[in-house]
Amino acid sequence: MSESNMELKVKSGLSAGLINKKEALVKRFVQGNAPDFLESCTMLLDDYFQEVIAGSVAARKMAFSRSPVTLVALGGYGRGEQCVHSDVDLLILFEKKVPASTEELVKEILYPLWDARLETGYAVRTIKECLSMAWEEFDILTTMLDARFICGSSPVFFQLMEKFRNRLSRKYVQTSLNRLIEQSRKRYEDYGDSTYLLEPNLKSGHGGLRDYHTILWYARIISDIKSRRDLERYGFLSHDEFATLEGSLGFIWHIRNILHHITGRKCDQLHFEHQNEVAHRLGFKGRDTHRVVEEFMGDLHSRMDFIKQINIMLTEDIQLSKKARFFTSLQKPTQYEGIVIRERRLDFESMERVPGEPELLLKIFVESGRLQKPISIEARRIVGEFAYLVDDTFRKNPSNVEAFEKILSTSLWEFNVLNVMLSTGLLVRFIPEFGAILNKIQYNQYHLFPVDKHSIRCVQVINSFKGKKIDPAHEFYATVYREIKGRKLLLMAALLHDIGKGDPEREHSLRGAEITRKIMTRSGYGRAEVEETVSLVRLHLFLIKTATRRDISDEETAIFCAGKIQKIGLLRKLYLLTVADSMATGPKAWNDWSQALLRELFLKTAEIIKNRDVATLKTSRIIEKKREDVMLLADSLMEKQLMGKKNRGIWGKGADRDAQDHNHGHINGYTHDLDGAVWNRESLLKILDSLNHRYLLYASPQEIMEHLELYRNLKEKGGDFLWIVTSEKGSDIRTVTICGIDRPGFYSKIAGVFFLNGLNILGSQAYSLIDNWALDIFKVMPPKDRLFENEKWEKAERQLHQAIKDDSFLDRLKDRVPAVITTVFGQSDMPNRVQIDNEASSFFTVVEVFTHDFPGLLFVITDNLYRLGLDVRVAMVSTKIDQVVDVFYVRYADNGKIDDPEDGIRIRDSILDALPSVKNVLK
Amino acid sequence: MKKIEAIIKPFKLDDVKESLNDIGIQGMTITEVKGYGRQKGHKEIYRGAEYVVDFVPKIKIEIIVDDGRAEEVVTSICKASNTGKIGDGKIFVMPVDEAIRVRTGERGSDAL
Repeated sequence: MSESNMELKVKSGLSAGLINKKEALVKRFVQGNAPDFLESCTMLLDDYFQEVIAGSVAARKMAFSRSPVTLVALGGYGRGEQCVHSDVDLLILFEKKVPASTEELVKEILYPLWDARLETGYAVRTIKECLSMAWEEFDILTTMLDARFICGSSPVFFQLMEKFRNRLSRKYVQTSLNRLIEQSRKRYEDYGDSTYLLEPNLKSGHGGLRDYHTILWYARIISDIKSRRDLERYGFLSHDEFATLEGSLGFIWHIRNILHHITGRKCDQLHFEHQNEVAHRLGFKGRDTHRVVEEFMGDLHSRMDFIKQINIMLTEDIQLSKKARFFTSLQKPTQYEGIVIRERRLDFESMERVPGEPELLLKIFVESGRLQKPISIEARRIVGEFAYLVDDTFRKNPSNVEAFEKILSTSLWEFNVLNVMLSTGLLVRFIPEFGAILNKIQYNQYHLFPVDKHSIRCVQVINSFKGKKIDPAHEFYATVYREIKGRKLLLMAALLHDIGKGDPEREHSLRGAEITRKIMTRSGYGRAEVEETVSLVRLHLFLIKTATRRDISDEETAIFCAGKIQKIGLLRKLYLLTVADSMATGPKAWNDWSQALLRELFLKTAEIIKNRDVATLKTSRIIEKKREDVMLLADSLMEKQLMGKKNRGIWGKGADRDAQDHNHGHINGYTHDLDGAVWNRESLLKILDSLNHRYLLYASPQEIMEHLELYRNLKEKGGDFLWIVTSEKGSDIRTVTICGIDRPGFYSKIAGVFFLNGLNILGSQAYSLIDNWALDIFKVMPPKDRLFENEKWEKAERQLHQAIKDDSFLDRLKDRVPAVITTVFGQSDMPNRVQIDNEASSFFTVVEVFTHDFPGLLFVITDNLYRLGLDVRVAMVSTKIDQVVDVFYVRYADNGKIDDPEDGIRIRDSILDALPSVKNVLK
Repeated sequence: MKKIEAIIKPFKLDDVKESLNDIGIQGMTITEVKGYGRQKGHKEIYRGAEYVVDFVPKIKIEIIVDDGRAEEVVTSICKASNTGKIGDGKIFVMPVDEAIRVRTGERGSDAL
C-alpha cells in the first residue's frame, strides 16, 4: 500500500467517523435529547476538518512552502447554525498565492464528504481575491460577514478579516446596507410572506430565518459584532426582543431539522403533507388532526411574525438617518397622554396607568398605525396581559369603536398594525367572534392563508387602493375607491367577510352576515350602516360567482346583478371587496383573467343601475328581443285559438289559461265573459312599444302576455280596475294581478282592502304600465275560509270600488293597526327605520322602510305616502320571517322628487309615527 | 390523430366538460386565455372615463383524439357551448403527427 493510498484510507476513516457521529446526533435529536443540535453539528464538522488538516500531507507541504492553508467556515456553518441537511460552506484560504498542491488537498478534505453525500460547497481564494469579490458579489459579502476560523493559519484569517472590516467601514457601509434591503425585497417577492402562508418557507420567506440573517448582517456591517448575543449587547435589540427572538429561532430551527430529517433532504418549505407529522413531533397533541395542525401553524406564524416585525424595525432603522440609529434614553410624547415613544418604539408611559385607562390598549395601536411605528415587545406583553379589561362596555364605547376604525384604516402591507393587534390577542378580545376563525386553515388549492390572516390581508388590500403610489393595474380600483362613501364599512366588511367560516355547518356568507349584524349592532352603528355591512358580507361571493358562472356578455346577467344589488354605492363597495378578497386569497384566485371578467361585470352592472329608467342601446336591444318573444307567443296562441275554440277569447278564458300554463289554477274569473275578440297584430305592437322599459326588462314574455290580456279586458269592459286571482299549484299563495287607472292612492287602497279582509300581503310589485294605467301584482295568503273563497274575493273587489270612490272609506282601518309590536326571544328588536334616498334614481326618490311585520303594514305606509301627496310608482315589498324591507319609488304628483331635505325628514317622521313601536317581550 | 382546439365562453366550461365526458372523452387541457375575434373589444364608460375592454376572457380547451372521433368531439363541443350569441367561440381541428406517453414510451393512439 503506497503512502498516499494509506492516507486516503485514514481520511475516509475520518469521514466515516463524522458520518457515524452525525447519525448518532440525529438519532438523539429525534429522541429529543439534542437541545443544542446546531452547535453540536457544527462542532462535529469542525472536529473533522481539524483532524483532516492535522493529518494531511498536502497541508504539511504547503506549510513548508510558506503558503499555509487556512480553513474558514462560511454561511450557516460560519454562524454555527448547522441543520440536519444544511450545506457546508467552506473557504480554503491562502495569503498570497494558491499552491499547486491545492487540488490534492481538496481531494483529501472534500471527496470523502461528497462520497458521504454531505452537500459541501467550497472556494479556493487568496486574501486579495476574497476582498475584491466581496464588493462585486453581494452573496460573497454576506458569507464573509459570517466567516469563522476553523483551523490552519489563524494570522492569515485575521489579516483577511481586518482588511475586510477596514474597507467595509471606510467605503462600503451605505452601499452594503442598500443592497441588503434590495435583496430582501426581491426575496419577499420570490418567497412571499411566511407569516401568512399556509405552506411557508422557513428560510427564505418574510419572517423566515433569512430575515434573522439580515438582522445579523445589518448589525455586522455597522459594528463588528461576533455573536447573536451581541445584538442585545450592542443595543440593536432590547433585552425582551432578544429573548423572544431566541425563542422564535429555536422553534424554527427545530422545525427545520425535523423537516430535513423527514424529507431526507434540505427542504425548507413546510408543505401540507408534512405539517401533521412535524406538529406531532413537536408535541402538539389532540384527536382532531386539523385542529392540531392549525394550532401548530398558528404558533409558527406568530413566531415568524415576530421575526418579521424585528426585521421591519431594523430595516426602518437602516432607512433612517444615521443619528437615529442607536437607542437613546429620550422619551417622546405622542398625541395620547399615557403613550410615549421610547427607544424608537411605542410604549406605555407606565404599566400602572393601563388598568385605569383600558382605552390606552387601543390607542397604542392607533398611534402605531398613524406614525407607522412599531410597538415595543414589553408594551405588546402588557396589551396581552390586560386584554381581559376589554368587555362589552368597552366594545360599545363609541370612542373605542372610532379608535378601531382608525386602526383598520392604517393597516398597510408594509406595516401591519392589525396583525400585531391579532398576535397580542387584543383583536379577539375586541371582536370575540373573530376567535372562531383564528388560525383556521382551509385545506384546498386556492387558499394560501389561514382565515384570520386572509381577512387582515383583505383589509390591507383595500387600504392599498388609497395609496399614493398606485400600480397602473390598481388605478381603476383607486378610481372606484375614491368614489365610495363610508369606507369604514367597507373595511369592517373586509375584516368580517369570512367570519362565518368558524361554523362549518352553515354556508359561510349567510352565517357571516348574521354574525356581522350582531357585531355592527353592538358597536353602535346606525341601521343603514349595519344593513350595508351585512349586505357586503352576505353578497361577498356574488359578483365573482356571477362573473365566472354566467354569461357576462348577456345583458340579462347585469340586470340580474343590478336587481340584486340595487344601489351603486353598494355595488362599488362590493366590487372592491371582491377584488380585495380575491387578491388576498392568492394567485390562483386572482389573475389578469378573472380580473377582466369581474371588471366587465362591474361596469355593466353599474351602467344598468345608473340608467335603470333610461333606455340605453343595450337595454333597448333586450327589450326589442322581449317584444319579439311576446309577438311569437301571441302568434302561437292565436294559431291555437283558430284551430279549436273559435268562439272564445283566446286569453280571456280560464280554461285556455290552464292549457297554456299548467302551474296556474284560476280562482276567480272576471275575464270569462268576453266576446272572443282576438288581438290585432298592429295594436299589440303599438302597445308593446309604449310599455315602460323597466317593466319590459323584468317581466317574462308569458307574464307580459297575461298582463296585456287583463289590460285589454279592462278597456273593453270599462271601469276603474280589473283583477285576476290565480293560485300556484302546490302552493297556498294567491297572486292577484290588478290593472287599473293609475290615480293617486290606488296602491294604498288595494293594500287597505286586503287588510280589511284579513288577507296577509307577502309581497308586491307596482308598475306604471301604459299611459295612465297601473299594474300591481300582489302575493297574498288566501282567506281562511276556503269554502267561500270566491265570494270573499268578490266582496273585496266591491270594497275596492267603494274605496276608490270614497277616500274616507278605509279610514276606519287605522284603528285596527296595532300600537305596539312585540317580538319574542330570538327575533330582532331593531327599531323601525326609514331611509330616504335621492341618488338611486334620477326620476324618483327611494323610500326604504325597515320594520317588523304586522297586519296592515303596507297599508299604513302607502296610505301615509298618499296623504303626503306622493305617488308610489314602483314598490318592492318583501317579508322575511320577522324582517321587512319595503322599497318605494315615489314622487310628488306634480312630477318631482323629494329634493328638499326638510321635506325628507318630515316624510320620514310621518311614516315612523304611523308605525307601531317595537318592544321585545323579554325586555 | 387530430388536435381539437376550442375557444369558448368561460361559463360554458362545465357544460362542455360534461358533454365530452358523456361521449367518453376524459383527458383535456384547459387554459384561461384572452383574445378577440369578430366580437372585437368594446368600450365601457365609467364616470365619464372610457375603459377599453380590448381582450375578452375565454377558455381554451385542447383535446387530442383519433381521426375517427374528431367529428363527434367537435359536434359535442359545438352543441354544449352554443348560446346563439356573438362570442360563442371557435373550434379548430389540426393534424397531429405523433403522441408519446412519457412514462411508458407508448406511441400513437396508445399514448392518448
